[in-house]
Amino acid sequence: MKQRDEFYEILKDPGSYGRKMKEQGRKIVGYFCSYTPEEIIYAAGALPYRIFGTGENIHFADAHFQSYCCSLVRGALEGALAGNLDFLDGAVFPHTCDSIQRLSDIWRMNVKGPFHVDVVLPVKLDTDSARAYMIDVLKKFRNDLASHLRVQITDDKLKNAIKTFNTIRGSLKRLYELKAEHPGIISGSDLYAVVKASMIMDRDHILEILPAVIEELEKKKENAKLSAGKRIVLAGGVCNHPDIYRIIEDAGGVVVWDDFCTGSRYFEGSVKDDADPIAAIAGRFMTRPVCPAKHAGIFTRGENLLRIAKEKEARGVVFFFLKFCDPHAFDYPYMKEFLDREGIPSMMLEVEDQLPSEGQLRTRFETFVDML
Amino acid sequence: MAEGKIRGTRVIFTGYNAEQAGTKVYEELLKELGIEKSDIRRVVSTGYGRNSVKFMDKAMTEIICHGAGAHYLNPRARSVIDIGGQDSKAIVLDEKGKVKNFAMNDKCAAGTGRFLEVMARALEVDLDGFGALSLRAGDPSRISSLCTVFAESEVVSLISKGEKRENIIAGIHESIAARIAAMANRLRIAPLVVMTGGVAKNIGVVKALERKIGMAVEVSEYAQVNGAIGAAFLATGLK
Amino acid sequence: MNKMPEIVLFFLAKIKKLALYFKKKKKMKEIMMVYYMEAKSARISGRKVAWITSGGPVEPLIAMDVIPVYPENHGAMIGASKMGTELCEKSESMGYSSDLCSYARSDIACATVNGGPIGGLPRPDMLVCCNNICGTVLKWYEVQARYFNVPLFIFDTPFCHTGYAEEVQRYVRRQLDEYVLFLEKECGRKMDSDHLKAVGKLSLEGQRLWQAVLATTANSPAPMTAFDAFYHLALIVTLRGTPLVIDYYTQLLEKMKDRVARGIGAIPNENYRLLWDNIPIWPRTRWLSEKLASHNACLVADTYTSAWCGTTKYIDENNFFDSMAEAYTRIYLNIGVDEMARVVLEMVDKYRVDGIVMHSNRSCKPYSLGQYDIQKIVEKERGIPCLIIEADMVDERSFSESQVSTRIDAFMEIIKQRKGA
Repeated sequence: MKQRDEFYEILKDPGSYGRKMKEQGRKIVGYFCSYTPEEIIYAAGALPYRIFGTGENIHFADAHFQSYCCSLVRGALEGALAGNLDFLDGAVFPHTCDSIQRLSDIWRMNVKGPFHVDVVLPVKLDTDSARAYMIDVLKKFRNDLASHLRVQITDDKLKNAIKTFNTIRGSLKRLYELKAEHPGIISGSDLYAVVKASMIMDRDHILEILPAVIEELEKKKENAKLSAGKRIVLAGGVCNHPDIYRIIEDAGGVVVWDDFCTGSRYFEGSVKDDADPIAAIAGRFMTRPVCPAKHAGIFTRGENLLRIAKEKEARGVVFFFLKFCDPHAFDYPYMKEFLDREGIPSMMLEVEDQLPSEGQLRTRFETFVDML
Repeated sequence: MAEGKIRGTRVIFTGYNAEQAGTKVYEELLKELGIEKSDIRRVVSTGYGRNSVKFMDKAMTEIICHGAGAHYLNPRARSVIDIGGQDSKAIVLDEKGKVKNFAMNDKCAAGTGRFLEVMARALEVDLDGFGALSLRAGDPSRISSLCTVFAESEVVSLISKGEKRENIIAGIHESIAARIAAMANRLRIAPLVVMTGGVAKNIGVVKALERKIGMAVEVSEYAQVNGAIGAAFLATGLK
Repeated sequence: MNKMPEIVLFFLAKIKKLALYFKKKKKMKEIMMVYYMEAKSARISGRKVAWITSGGPVEPLIAMDVIPVYPENHGAMIGASKMGTELCEKSESMGYSSDLCSYARSDIACATVNGGPIGGLPRPDMLVCCNNICGTVLKWYEVQARYFNVPLFIFDTPFCHTGYAEEVQRYVRRQLDEYVLFLEKECGRKMDSDHLKAVGKLSLEGQRLWQAVLATTANSPAPMTAFDAFYHLALIVTLRGTPLVIDYYTQLLEKMKDRVARGIGAIPNENYRLLWDNIPIWPRTRWLSEKLASHNACLVADTYTSAWCGTTKYIDENNFFDSMAEAYTRIYLNIGVDEMARVVLEMVDKYRVDGIVMHSNRSCKPYSLGQYDIQKIVEKERGIPCLIIEADMVDERSFSESQVSTRIDAFMEIIKQRKGA
């Protein structure tokens, strides 16, 4: 992949990319969750910059968060308090889970400088009143953001933003489809790098270069060798661990799709071309594959995972959770049962920001792949 | 292994250098049995150091090898519980000895042999005597801490309260058995259950585990080398 | 149901007689026993049972004569009976992570084995989940909705980081109507709005009485401790809106006022006054109480029990139904950490405490995450020490007696030093 270096540069040190953009005069707005209305941030002329935890050891955050809090939240606060996110002009906190809720408060109370906006989206996504409320909240966010950034966010800018993000999402989905059809044409870590970079990189730039990435893969698939890897689907929340793709591939597996917050849930669903752009953005959030911290029916997630596993002809599913992530941990038993009933083997791995030793991971993945 | 039968086994302390230890135990065993290296057709290595063994033909995880070993020693085995020094595992097998499902605890000392070592030190009792002593217990103490370090302080409290050693040890066994049973129950293990790994030599833990999972637990005389036996068995199947 | 067997009618009559007898006695233990008995025999008496979250709007249920059952209250009972560890282990073998809320874990396990101190809760006919206390209840109630295959109503009260927005009011108010429609559908009859008004009045009166009871401990010596409050709390949580609650707390308030008048304290030597934060460590309340008393320290107030009378200021006496929206949304756990800190400072002043004991409760993230910041604010604004105890509200495996004991001793040494023991 020609643009490989560019993507990996950003991932190696996303902070310095953020700083570079800041120096070029861009406004940078930090966020943590796929329910962030990025279209509105983009329409305000700012760069939506996703924060993934820290990867470093925790020092400052320990003074604010107990150890039984997930490493995404602890790591995010750590980054902010350590001064690594000084280039942010603001931070946006859509309502997600209890931990992010408290992160918002503690961030607001302790991180000086950037503006702070809560976007308290509804937890329910299956009623008219929830939809009406979501539209109200998004309208309010538009006004708050416009006032903080001192810009106007017109309907036209929003419609343009919607087109941009629909295209980016469509391209990411196409990449996933190509990999699912011909797993050998791009490595798991490379695909991961593209998707993660698209949550950080200037959106006009990513819009520009994704078609070339797709084109390169389309060419490759002509001569693609059949991949011997056993087809695996990953399921979970935020995945900040590209190493697992390599370890799975070394163990004889290959990841052909995922149900990740930072994976397919980020790009699935398109914003409709409605007269009211805010209502259209709300529409996508109401209908796209749901996060466990939200409610859209009691069997929806299990049915969705099963559908993915069957459609992508997966031999097995690996549940990949952050330790202390309550919403995912509550859904796991019934989702596993759905897979068990259909005879689809699964395994579950609970990790923190730092992965367990490679030896332990190899043991698990090699055994699992052997089971398939 | 030769003609499907175990020729010999050997156990040494791994120490700092896994590669060296692997070579040493291999050469010592061959010498003891009077076999030349050239007579060995295939070698399968397993364990955390499996990839550092230079002379192996294939490396396989200890989960697969424990499964194969348990099946070799008793084809009726359907579940394996392995409690080693630093981790513990539960494995469910099919009738051919292939792994159907597994669970591992490699993050937390409570539920591994290390837990028992720490307690033996606190009680000033030889770990080998744990099993026999616990069987004499009239009333196992309750040790509820999830964490090995805090469980140790619970034990120290019990000692100072004058609690009998036998009861404390029985309580320690209940504690480790409960952790293992929780892991095993998640997997829905089924009889015949066999236990492998060094801790299987402790009759107290075996009995406590039987009570917690509600099934009989068999322990072979080869429990400690079950993984190696499985690796050898799998080697016989390699082309 | 027309021709109920005589033996059943006989027992129903016995239960009714017992109920009247115990209701007259007005002791908490007996009242709760009757309450659970009635809930467990609801099928026979033709009433419906709803499981509802502790922060959920119970008044419409009372108005529809639906028996409200509280899995969280049951969780507290499980903890107090020291049956939590076993049930939590069972839930872990079902695949639930040991890091999840122990109320949820024990309840999910309990439902499958009818365990716990009362042989399990009665099957629900419906589930009412209000997420004002946390997001865990959403997942917990989804699990139970799948398990029991009954309708689930979610009352979504958006989090109020820095205030109460009008779009939140609109959304929650609309859901009150949806809630009533849900109940009308499940019960097969219309809501009697006059009856609901009456229930609302009783609910407000009950909350005010509870507030008055808690306020008596501002006196020195305090006539009761927070441990007593944990015990007396059950009624305002479970049967808010009923006359029983009024009777009970009226009596209790008189008793407390009498003790204040006569200078009778809950502990023999009240030298030090403390505030408790978070849900109690249910399996160890007696141990804690004795431990603190041994230091002549009295837990005079707490942030947990006061949460059930904390939003009376948002309730409009003459328009209970409409004001329920704000009252149920702006509860203590649904506001920002800085606002919680303000409430804590108010309580420090009102109850004149020398220190705070904070239970860092693994099971409750909304309550526990933010404690470190509140601790810092209190130490800065009032200069009093805050002790943090790491444990769990139900799962004893997370309680380390010697460690906690040492911490309390050290904390009391500091307080004694400061007060010039």
